[in-house]
Amino acid sequence: MRIAMEGEFYDVAIIGGGVIGCAIARELSRYDLRVLLMEKNAEVGFGTTKTNSGIIHPGHDTPTSTLKGRLVVRGNMLFDRLHTELKFGFERIGAIYWIREKEDWPRLEALKRQGDEKGVPGLELWDAERLQKEEPNLSYDLIGALYAPSGGVINPYEFAFALMECAENNGVELRVDCPVTAIDRGDADDGILHVHTPGGVVDTRFVVNAAGVYADRIAAMVGLDDYTINPRKGEEFMLDKRLHGIVRRLIFPLPTGITKGILIIPTYDGTIMVGPTAHDTPDREDVTTSSAGEKEIFDYVTRLCPSVHQSDVITAFAGLRAVSSTGDFIIGPTRVKGFINVAGIQSPGLTSAPAIGEYVCEILADQGLKLNEKSDFVAEIDGPPRFAKQLPREQEKMVAANSAFGRIVCRCELVTEAEIHDAIDHGARTIDGVKFRCRAGMGRCQGGFCTSRIIKILSERLGIPPEAVTKRGGDSWLITPMTDPVVRTVGEQED
Amino acid sequence: MLGRMEGPYDVMVVGGGPAGLAAAIGARDAGARRVLVIDREAEAGGILLQCIHSGFGLHYFKQELTGPEYAERFVTEAIDHEIDIVPNSYVSGIGLDSDGTKRVRILSDHYGLRTMTCRSVVLAMGCRERTRGAIRIPGTRPSGVLTAGLAQKFTNMMGYLPGKKVAILGSGDIGLIMARRLVLEGCEVVGVFELMPYSNGLTRNVVQCLDDFGIPLHLSTTVTEIMGADRLSGIKVAPVGSGFVPDMSKERRIDCDTLLLSIGLIPENEMSQSLGIQLDVTTRGPIVSSTLETSLPGVFACGNVLHVHDLVDFVTGEALRAGRHAGEYALGIRRAQDNIKLVPGDNVRYCLPHSLSTGHEHQIFMRCKEPMKPCEIIIGNIMRKKLSFVVPAEMIMFKIKPDALDRFQGDTLRIDIRPLQK
Amino acid sequence: MSDKKNFTCIGCPIGCPLQLTHEGLDVLEIEGNQCNRGAKYAQQEFRDPRRFVSTTVAIEGARHRRLPVKVTAPVPKDRVVDAAVEIHRIKVTAPVRIGDVLIRDLLGEKGVDVVATRTMERV
Repeated sequence: MRIAMEGEFYDVAIIGGGVIGCAIARELSRYDLRVLLMEKNAEVGFGTTKTNSGIIHPGHDTPTSTLKGRLVVRGNMLFDRLHTELKFGFERIGAIYWIREKEDWPRLEALKRQGDEKGVPGLELWDAERLQKEEPNLSYDLIGALYAPSGGVINPYEFAFALMECAENNGVELRVDCPVTAIDRGDADDGILHVHTPGGVVDTRFVVNAAGVYADRIAAMVGLDDYTINPRKGEEFMLDKRLHGIVRRLIFPLPTGITKGILIIPTYDGTIMVGPTAHDTPDREDVTTSSAGEKEIFDYVTRLCPSVHQSDVITAFAGLRAVSSTGDFIIGPTRVKGFINVAGIQSPGLTSAPAIGEYVCEILADQGLKLNEKSDFVAEIDGPPRFAKQLPREQEKMVAANSAFGRIVCRCELVTEAEIHDAIDHGARTIDGVKFRCRAGMGRCQGGFCTSRIIKILSERLGIPPEAVTKRGGDSWLITPMTDPVVRTVGEQED
Repeated sequence: MLGRMEGPYDVMVVGGGPAGLAAAIGARDAGARRVLVIDREAEAGGILLQCIHSGFGLHYFKQELTGPEYAERFVTEAIDHEIDIVPNSYVSGIGLDSDGTKRVRILSDHYGLRTMTCRSVVLAMGCRERTRGAIRIPGTRPSGVLTAGLAQKFTNMMGYLPGKKVAILGSGDIGLIMARRLVLEGCEVVGVFELMPYSNGLTRNVVQCLDDFGIPLHLSTTVTEIMGADRLSGIKVAPVGSGFVPDMSKERRIDCDTLLLSIGLIPENEMSQSLGIQLDVTTRGPIVSSTLETSLPGVFACGNVLHVHDLVDFVTGEALRAGRHAGEYALGIRRAQDNIKLVPGDNVRYCLPHSLSTGHEHQIFMRCKEPMKPCEIIIGNIMRKKLSFVVPAEMIMFKIKPDALDRFQGDTLRIDIRPLQK
Repeated sequence: MSDKKNFTCIGCPIGCPLQLTHEGLDVLEIEGNQCNRGAKYAQQEFRDPRRFVSTTVAIEGARHRRLPVKVTAPVPKDRVVDAAVEIHRIKVTAPVRIGDVLIRDLLGEKGVDVVATRTMERV
């Protein structure tokens, strides 16, 4: 069964609906092309993207000799315009890179120089006194820091959803629950690649391999084996909002060769996140959290910021970085005509995403894809209503226009029924999909009070029985029907 | 009247569960004319509506009622008292005018976003359950891990089971009750795992919810891992030794598709904190005077938001009094500032209220830290009460009469629980 | 030939471990209780242990899908699960008033009725 009509084909099929695939999709949607994005999970962003730390890096710490070093600064700059167009939360809260040992000053100064040369704006070196004044809750044994005002925070899943929504509004097709099982050229030498999925075969001129942790497996389907992806797990712990303000900026150590280190991240939503760890794992599905990971993070962070404690944890999660065997992004054409790799996009992948989108378009144009700009490309989307963030006057108007704004579903995050529906309108099909779009279930009670209502709403809107609603697709069912058979009815009204 | 919201009000009650309803009735009994109760659910009654088992009302009504029956009595009485109850609404903020008037912002699907004024407020928001994140169980994040209260809502209100093969962490009453409930619905309950060396729930529940059905109670045991990719497939448990450290050499796997967490309740004081109300770190509820008034004048607290209760009968008693004082406050009646601090001593985890006034009767609520039997409660040098036992899971309640307090000379009254000398 | 049976008293939170010695149906001795309630409890649990059952039944036409119900008198302990299954066989239609009798003489136990424990209006 073919997914397009017989004889038709896509110009570009993107494999992988993480933030990279979505960013590429949005860029491609500017042009007159038939584009399809295939995502193996129940919704876009449900792989590594939703576990990402959400940091928009200043970019000073990656050398321009690397591709990532070149794309990160451009990516960072694009976020101001992007968040205005796509309405996701973004704030340049700034970042500091602290040191404890005198011997580390030269490294800090070298980073500043590298950043200045790359055009990273506003870099400053701070001494201990300045650091203590600016971040009074950090340990007093820190002797200095590099301050980078262009560092920022977003919710990575919000960003991915917004990119995909814009792409779909501009004609990109999305298929979820759509894993790729094989890719071949077929018999004809017509330059078409055939991408096999359980739902049918996709015929396409170009394949963009943005499959994250599985990119090397996808590449192997066309006989390419010049790199491997070695997943590196990171655990993160989310702390209660009452710690909001404990640090004002992103708090980084100096980078090691392997990882950016264990950080303190004031998220866009006002929680504090600590982590991630960085441990290689051969298991591409291992997203477990561990007591060893917890100990590693809290031993480190409590020394750095004594006010932080394990008792403030509200939730923990882990994600897998797609680390390439080359140590850099692998973005480019291959010896297989039409097959483009966008692999090994680990940090600063999120920051680079908009620049990667542009770069992939350049590569495709170079490979013979005609890019004719659409005259009717709509760069903006409406964005979710975010009732809790509106002023009371605006809230009054919203409730007056739609009484579903008057019904609170998630008390912890003040999310209304109207926003649950809005999330579903924009693609949410699962409990996590609703949660990541409107925050219902992300607060202190972690869904204790709102989950039953969200199940009911999803069931009604999707036209499925409540037992078919899942947490995040696949077999993640939540409830199951009662089993004792009902045999007779009592209490009928007598006329 | 159900659904009417017409200000200005004398007293507004945040939460229409057993605490809020009794507080509203108490306010009316004190003479307040206009009383409003706000509740976020579609109907008042609070958590009682899903507590379909019996055990409520033994003290207050001298009858053994189920939760819904207890709730319905109070909803009926509240409506009879001409109290306005507005469901499907939520208090999103409270502001204070310079003359003490409270401006309460209410979001309601029927009325939209409205600000209602009143003279006094009673906080009765209840509590929430502790979640997995709070105890940081390692492993995957499948569906099938949920609090016992959410499982109770699924089962008793939605009419769906949380799963088929169920393990329960925590031997508090909610977990025990759900163990029995799920057996009666045809589920397999593989065991209850409790960190402490004793059960946290009533003995009656251990017997009638676990022993009766052959469900094993594993004391001094904790869950060390959660497994399963999409849906829970199993857990690992291990015995704990001193310091509650799991002995991983004895870790074993339990197959199950559902893990219920019954690991504690936390009073819902986010709004209280945002109002700047001072909280007690032990109870996690507001610091209150002898009239159950918080550190914000004219704002009172009662029920689980003040401290986690075990008997709804005690909630009712406490809430009637808080409501009465809130009603008096609204009418301009003020009690002189308390002149005696009440502090917890040996084997007392906490005691309420935080201060007392000479010349008045007081109802004291407290909990012990550890079981003790037999024992004596020593209230300063003015009172002693002998008890055959105390356990942390059972709140202790007694009255201090005015004449007893008038005999007290100091400004700090300390309560100790000590073993009874034979 | 005497036998022993163990119970945990539920009369109060002490939870005295009780040991009842009996010969056939004759109770010879009760040990372990610190008060009279314990002795009475052990007797009852030995001769005729009974339990209250509360559960829910399906309801149509109301705000919720389930109506909470209870038995008006305790059922024999070894029939509790059967009682639940039997109660679950019925479905009711709103409106239902608190106290409405939905099943009489459950499982043939005279005087054990099943009643609604709340009012549910028709919506």
